[in-house]
Amino acid sequence: MSSIDRRNFLKTLTAAAGASVLSVPKAWSASAVKARVVVIGGGFGGATAARYLRMLDPGIEVTLIERGTRYTSCPLSNEVLSGSRDIKSLQAGYQGLARRGVQVVHNEVTQVDPVGKKVSTAEGNSFSYDALVMAPGVDFDYGAFKGLTAEISETRLPHAWKAGPQTLLLKQQLEAMPDGGRFIIVVPKGPFRCPPGPYERAAQVAMYCQHHGKKKSKILILDSNDSFSKRPLFEEAWKALYGYGQGGMIEWVAAANGGKVEQVDPGAMVCLNGFDEFKGNVINVIPPHRAGKIARDAGLANFKDAWCAVKPENMESTAHKDVYVIGDACVGGDLAGNNAFPKSAHMANSQAKIVAASLVAKINGQPAPTPIYTNTCYSVVAHDWGFSVVHLFRVENGQWVYIKEGSGISPVTFGTKEAPRPVPRIYRKMEVDYADGWLRNILSDGFS
Amino acid sequence: MRRIFLVLALACLSGAAQARTDVNILARTCNNCHGVGGVSAGASMPSIGGLQRDYLRRVMKQWKYDERSAITMSRIVKGFSDDEIDALADYFAKQPWTPVVQKTSPEAMDKGLATVSKICTDCHGKAGSDPDVDAPNLNGQWARYMELELEKYRSGEFKMPHRKMKKAIHEATPADAAAAARYFGAQSK
Repeated sequence: MSSIDRRNFLKTLTAAAGASVLSVPKAWSASAVKARVVVIGGGFGGATAARYLRMLDPGIEVTLIERGTRYTSCPLSNEVLSGSRDIKSLQAGYQGLARRGVQVVHNEVTQVDPVGKKVSTAEGNSFSYDALVMAPGVDFDYGAFKGLTAEISETRLPHAWKAGPQTLLLKQQLEAMPDGGRFIIVVPKGPFRCPPGPYERAAQVAMYCQHHGKKKSKILILDSNDSFSKRPLFEEAWKALYGYGQGGMIEWVAAANGGKVEQVDPGAMVCLNGFDEFKGNVINVIPPHRAGKIARDAGLANFKDAWCAVKPENMESTAHKDVYVIGDACVGGDLAGNNAFPKSAHMANSQAKIVAASLVAKINGQPAPTPIYTNTCYSVVAHDWGFSVVHLFRVENGQWVYIKEGSGISPVTFGTKEAPRPVPRIYRKMEVDYADGWLRNILSDGFS
Repeated sequence: MRRIFLVLALACLSGAAQARTDVNILARTCNNCHGVGGVSAGASMPSIGGLQRDYLRRVMKQWKYDERSAITMSRIVKGFSDDEIDALADYFAKQPWTPVVQKTSPEAMDKGLATVSKICTDCHGKAGSDPDVDAPNLNGQWARYMELELEKYRSGEFKMPHRKMKKAIHEATPADAAAAARYFGAQSK
């Protein structure tokens, strides 16, 4: 156990309101502990790391510290807005991990001491570690838009970029919007979690309007960037399904054309770019992102003061030894633009497995395995229209290498360059099914 | 001829550079979509653990070399060397085949059995558990996945190299094919 003995630790937690330790199997408590690993954050990255560590070596003591008792998947959460999906279908609990002998602690981490190798929680408990896996996700920089605060996001201008209550608030606002209303999506400067997310959201909102008597409504995307993920696929779908551009249901304004919002006014319900005002009935402001606060406080955000740089071979922080950062908080070196590590659930899951394998090898004195990182990300733009992107990264000579052959978006056209033809609709339709199958499997891969 | 040579040369090169990756690490990249040990938890994704080695090897290479179309797999496998594909096929073939038995109505089972007896038994066995050398297990495979796969054969929009399946799909109506998929999905070990 850590700095307090196990019995006292269990007693403390059982006594503490809101905290719970899920069943600890007898076999686990009797076995010799090879090493202690603490995992901070129970999203796709943290949960998967904890699960695989226990799966690959039950001799490792794994403690997962996570605030919430139930996780809600951000991927496919835009479908909740259109009503295609119930939010419950996105959720997973931590019982599966507890059954595997992961010690699940529901609490807030207040301090990480990477030198003393200790983690402290709000309730005053501390956990010593041999290795620390940080999967804190992202924090939102509310200050980037004048007029925006965390409180305004929670009550008036939801970002809904962490799935949960804000997703449902945004859905209510959409439902209350009159026909002919304007739904504004404010997109921050990248990198942000789920690069295709804002554009997928525009489509889901449009689908809702089309089927719920709001056909005259408009969706305006005010973007702080000049292009976006899977752009040709989105533009094709928007055009075919909802009308795109001026006069269409969906309009996208690039940063270069005035899309960069600087200020919001929740009272007047307007966004300002310094020249023009955009009035909306619903304003969905997604603030810029940076690595979760606990990672920044621990001195791990050594890349542009916002993100945590890690080593290609095993995701170890370049700032502190024995600390591994995975998921949306990390950055894979200087890989530029479309070739950078995408901030996605699948990538977090892939990184988690690499950390688990590498730690298990290290703890058992075995050679470090050669990693391979994969990503799949589905976008659903209508109940029968979806598409995806896949990525493959290898590590060669200590550097990340983007493997172009194993990467890429769904086909944009069929036929030849000279005589292109549209991709058959059956291809687009099947991706919607695959998106759901993927979600079920990735939730199970991390949480069961 | 020149093009074929180039493709082979590239395949050899990438094979040499990539063969170091441990198969366990590689196989874990499949779990996100196909489940741990290749037992899928999502209805549209097939379970792959325990399928025949030659079948797995063949379909992955067909996707890689554009002889068969898939939605995502044909993109992903292009990043894997032939050696890695062989290793993955060996790995998943060694896992136990774990049917995910799905419930259906007695009427649907009767309807499915009628189609299965007429068209599928020859290669897949009556319960889908006695497959031919180039036919996968179907007992307890996800019915939704099988329906999607059958749609691929029916639509004519996909490159599907298995001639016998292409012929078979047109001997059944879409409703019969769906019933057959549900019948196989309801079978156990």
